[in-house]
Amino acid sequence: MSLRSLLVFSIVLLLAIMLACSTDDGPPLVVSDVEITSPMRGMSMSAGYLTLDNKGQNEIRITHVTSPQFAAVEIHETIVENDIARMRRVDELLIAPGETVRLERRGLHLMLKQARQDISTVNLSLYSNELLLLTLVTRIEEAS
Amino acid sequence: MSLKNLIIAFVLGIAMAAGIWTAINMQRANATLVTATRLPAAAELPQVSLLDHEARAIDERIFAGQWDLVFFGFTHCPDICPITLQILSAAKRQLADDDFEPLPRIVLVTVDPERDTPEKLAEYIAAFGDGNLGITGDLDQIRKLTASLGIYFQKQDTDDEYYSVDHSAVVIVMDPDGRFHSLFSSPHVIENFVHDVPLLVKHVGNEL
Repeated sequence: MSLRSLLVFSIVLLLAIMLACSTDDGPPLVVSDVEITSPMRGMSMSAGYLTLDNKGQNEIRITHVTSPQFAAVEIHETIVENDIARMRRVDELLIAPGETVRLERRGLHLMLKQARQDISTVNLSLYSNELLLLTLVTRIEEAS
Repeated sequence: MSLKNLIIAFVLGIAMAAGIWTAINMQRANATLVTATRLPAAAELPQVSLLDHEARAIDERIFAGQWDLVFFGFTHCPDICPITLQILSAAKRQLADDDFEPLPRIVLVTVDPERDTPEKLAEYIAAFGDGNLGITGDLDQIRKLTASLGIYFQKQDTDDEYYSVDHSAVVIVMDPDGRFHSLFSSPHVIENFVHDVPLLVKHVGNEL
């Protein structure tokens, strides 16, 4: 192969690689509508609500959530059946490809335990086992 | 009277009757309870000994003297309890804006007296407006009260201090005689309280 042919081949190969990289569709997990309630007076606990969209091709499994502003964060679900309200811890959230899971009032929600100090913003990190999926920062919402 | 005048009088009569019939039905529709259910006869409460949020000893007569919207919850509840109390608070504000009287009092009876001391309750209920009442006390006395109202609650033990308590989500209405008058089933919506409370107070609407 001549030097000229090799050069042309290299350029074509490089362009092909760049084109392949440019077709990346972005992160599979998209979070929106985030709301963390302010701890009630005399309490050190908050509730968290958010919308999770799986824009990817594979199932997303959220196993735990952490926050430096709280000692622990858990996923819970409120179930009201026959006028009886129960709250149960959820071990993991499964989001199928293309699916949306909403953490909202009277349903799935985050329970943020033991606020470490007076807080105005909250950092949340969502994990799938040891893999960090996403970190977000949001302001505390005062109860209306 | 000529035939023409007779026909005119007949048509006007029909129109008037139709108008009256429509007005009566509209009034009936507005007088129908949306979610509240009134007991056929208000029920007396059993004798109980409890504490209010100022640590004062109270008994079942605490419910006499005003209309009360009573919710059974606990302060460590992050979701359904604050939401319900916020709804009751917002409904009360709207009734006040509408110049409705008498305004009901909002009452939280704890189903978690282990953690909900009078001091804790006082701080908590203050977040939902002025004039609210918090009730705690001996667990057996709370059970005696809840049993009389058909209210369910059950502690769910966990490994840490953040255990949950399953509990009824209804809102009980007590009348000024301190009796169990009616109840609101969940899910709770501000507009349903704003609509139904005046009807309950005026003793109209659907019965069981």
